[in-house]
Amino acid sequence: MFKCDHKFIATSVAALVLGSTPVFASSAKKNALDGGMTYSRDRGMYSVYNINEQDTKGMNHGRTPTANELKAWDTDIMPDGTGLPEGKGSVEEGDEIYEEQCGVCHGDFGAGGVGYPTLSGGSMDSLTNQRTAPGMDAPKRTIGTYWPQASTLIWYIRDAMPYAHPKSLSNDEIYALTAYLLAANEIKVDGKEMDDDFVLSKDNFSKIKMPNEDGFYPNINGKDGVENVRKFFKDGKNYGAVGKRCMKNCKDDNATVMRIGIEMKDVNPAYSTVRDLVPVDNSNAHPGKAGYEANCAVCHATDKMGAPALGSKSDWDKVMEKGTTKVMMNAINGVGSMPPKGGNSDLTEWQMQMIVDYMISNSK
Amino acid sequence: MTKISKASNTEIVQSTRRDFFRKTAAYSVSAIAATSILSADDENITHHSKWGTTLGDELNKNPYGLPSPYEHNNVRRTTPLLSSAGDMHAAISLTPLHEQEGIITPNGLFFTRTHNGVAQIDPNKFRFMIHGMIEKPIVLTLEDIKKYPSESVIHFLECPSNGAAEWKGPQFNSLQFVKGMMSCTEWTGVRLKTILDDLGVDPKAIWCLVEGQDGSEMSRTVPTEKIMDDAMLVYAMNGEALRAEQGYPLRLLLPGWEANLCVKWLKRLEFGDKPWYCKEETSKYTTLTASGKAIQHFYPLEVNSIITSPCPEKPWTSLKKGDMIEIQGLAWSGHGKIKLVDISFDGGKNWVEANLKGLVLPKSWTRFSYIYKYEGKPLLLASRAMDEIKNVQPTVNQEKKIIGVEGVYHRNSICTWEVKENGEVHNVQMRS
Ligand code: HEC
Ligand code: HEC
Repeated sequence: MFKCDHKFIATSVAALVLGSTPVFASSAKKNALDGGMTYSRDRGMYSVYNINEQDTKGMNHGRTPTANELKAWDTDIMPDGTGLPEGKGSVEEGDEIYEEQCGVCHGDFGAGGVGYPTLSGGSMDSLTNQRTAPGMDAPKRTIGTYWPQASTLIWYIRDAMPYAHPKSLSNDEIYALTAYLLAANEIKVDGKEMDDDFVLSKDNFSKIKMPNEDGFYPNINGKDGVENVRKFFKDGKNYGAVGKRCMKNCKDDNATVMRIGIEMKDVNPAYSTVRDLVPVDNSNAHPGKAGYEANCAVCHATDKMGAPALGSKSDWDKVMEKGTTKVMMNAINGVGSMPPKGGNSDLTEWQMQMIVDYMISNSK
Repeated sequence: MTKISKASNTEIVQSTRRDFFRKTAAYSVSAIAATSILSADDENITHHSKWGTTLGDELNKNPYGLPSPYEHNNVRRTTPLLSSAGDMHAAISLTPLHEQEGIITPNGLFFTRTHNGVAQIDPNKFRFMIHGMIEKPIVLTLEDIKKYPSESVIHFLECPSNGAAEWKGPQFNSLQFVKGMMSCTEWTGVRLKTILDDLGVDPKAIWCLVEGQDGSEMSRTVPTEKIMDDAMLVYAMNGEALRAEQGYPLRLLLPGWEANLCVKWLKRLEFGDKPWYCKEETSKYTTLTASGKAIQHFYPLEVNSIITSPCPEKPWTSLKKGDMIEIQGLAWSGHGKIKLVDISFDGGKNWVEANLKGLVLPKSWTRFSYIYKYEGKPLLLASRAMDEIKNVQPTVNQEKKIIGVEGVYHRNSICTWEVKENGEVHNVQMRS
């Protein structure tokens, strides 16, 4: 790669394009959709890469998918309703399924609070909030205040949730959950709020009105969608490309040094640049073992305190009759004389899950 | 010849994960001590080393080679802050940029973002489909894809959330956590255009859905124009199969665009005439501005740069006044090549042009370098890159004026390190 002095960009680019003498790069143009460069593929070069320019016409591998294969995979759900499945579900049914399968992570009514994404609450007015000083409120980006389309919700729930068992919900269940979450976000259908009996299906899906539908730019809808994107990227001011190359005595709105207030130090593994040998390799240990020993062994090593003892099959068989979710919730929220999270509120939900898994799998 | 005792003099310090600032500080004291007592002999020279007096390991002890055991701190790191409830299935791990040499990230250090854990795909059962508004839909196996002519290109990938924690002010005192949501690799695969040219894409199909086959079925809408320009299906990085964390066996590569668009564990492309409104292009990966409206389909990663040496992890605490030292860093742009990089020592009032070094490739990391005489005085060290389309990194204030502080994504304003009198380096921002 030759070095092209920026002071002579104009002349060297011209030389490149005209290039009667051997060239070392194909030509480049500032005409990409995103406002950037495209690089031509000519004279055996793509930018500075050598390429094989032989014709590949007629090179066909693979095969045609069958009708059933297409049906199995072509299941996306679009804003105009394309792809909506058969089935139906009510707000009330959704409420029940939500409590069983979603609330552990997303909180009651989708209100969050347990560290996983918040699914409801906040107001559209909050979207203009700017936390320019400590203690100010954040903009609330939830389904009701932010999501432009309801199709996204039902599609995402069907493909990606519940988190640990994606694609396990029936069509009726995804309609019910979508109805429930829309109701929890006070979304209107056909101008009316949804009550518990409201039943969502393919037939009334298009009547859902998402309040923030027009909250996004550039406009990507219609046949000019891509052209609008191109126009948006043409002007750097639209997306923050406003830097100037000043070299001396540059002004910057009275900028002063802002230092770290409260440093974020919770990183894993801990920071270190030391070059030494690690004493022992713990990589095969169960991820919940260390946490168990540090937080739970005091009470759970034996059954003396009425806690199910590690290694006791009968103790744990009895515990597990309640079902994993309930047991997890008890471990997190406390039960009887078992304190919430064993008394260590710093443990994350995830760490708790690992520890309980360690206890269960060592008591079989 | 003098007989020298064979006793090993290289004591191996066992790891206690002490604060690295304290360690570096301790090292620098001993370094200064070593140079000031000029007559003292270094036992590492005057005595035989342990490794020179014992038989080494069998050469193929590790059929798949491993880094030296001394390099165990050169690893990706995570933080519960950048995750849901500390859960490491929908979270991000960051590349240790302070240990990064050159412009190629080793495969084991490539940053990783997943939305439903790392899928482990059986390559024999892997299928990939192209369908929708095209004449000839197809299903390809991995072997089929590898029958097409391959190309290898060097491109960076960056999560548009890179530096997202810093919109409201500096938070992490670490290069790894300030800019480590990116890596750069030599990718190998097939240009999508090579495959698509024979399949008859409908000219009205201006959009293409790209969807993964992991638990989250990660999907995005991409303009067909990009698919037909430099988009690739890639199955290899740095000479070997993709790592599972990077989408084994197949991912999409859209050079210069959000890594989130470069869907991993790729399942299918569907051509259509309307955008899909996927979860990751509505709820997330949209940049909320101060107006309350959000930028959507914000594809390219804009011109950016960071000084990697010195940095908080690799400070100048061992330097003496008058020492000559190289300042280095990385610059990159999703819009093309890097044209030039300037460096400031006074927080952006005055700038000098640095030198680019090594390969200068489109949409790739580019190294810059500047030789500096250290004066032992406090500095506000910053870098500012300009790319091929003449975009220049904005100041924090300039970016804030247009986007606000709640945008989350696409932060590319100038980064500043404060070098203290003792050589420590801290993450700061110049803003009003
Ligand atoms: C074990 C925890 C867990 C459970 C249980 C769970 N989710 Fe989630 N959910 C998550 C995580 C983590 C994410 C974010 C994933 C990502 O980063 O892409 C998420 C994201 C979501 C989102 C998108 C949120 C946003 O703002 O982008 C919705 C909607 C959702 N879940 C609905 C559900 C529903 C409905 C259920 C029950 C059927 C459910 N979830 C069960 C963990 C969970
Ligand atoms: C102070 C003592 C104490 C500590 C510490 C403690 N536990 Fe417990 N745990 C108990 C007792 C007592 C019970 C039985 C409660 C009951 O059934 O009334 C129990 C029950 C449980 C159960 C069964 C819940 C159920 O649904 O029956 C789980 C799971 C559990 N503990 C997990 C943990 C974990 C994980 C930790 C550490 C993070 C921990 N415990 C720490 C005392 C403790």
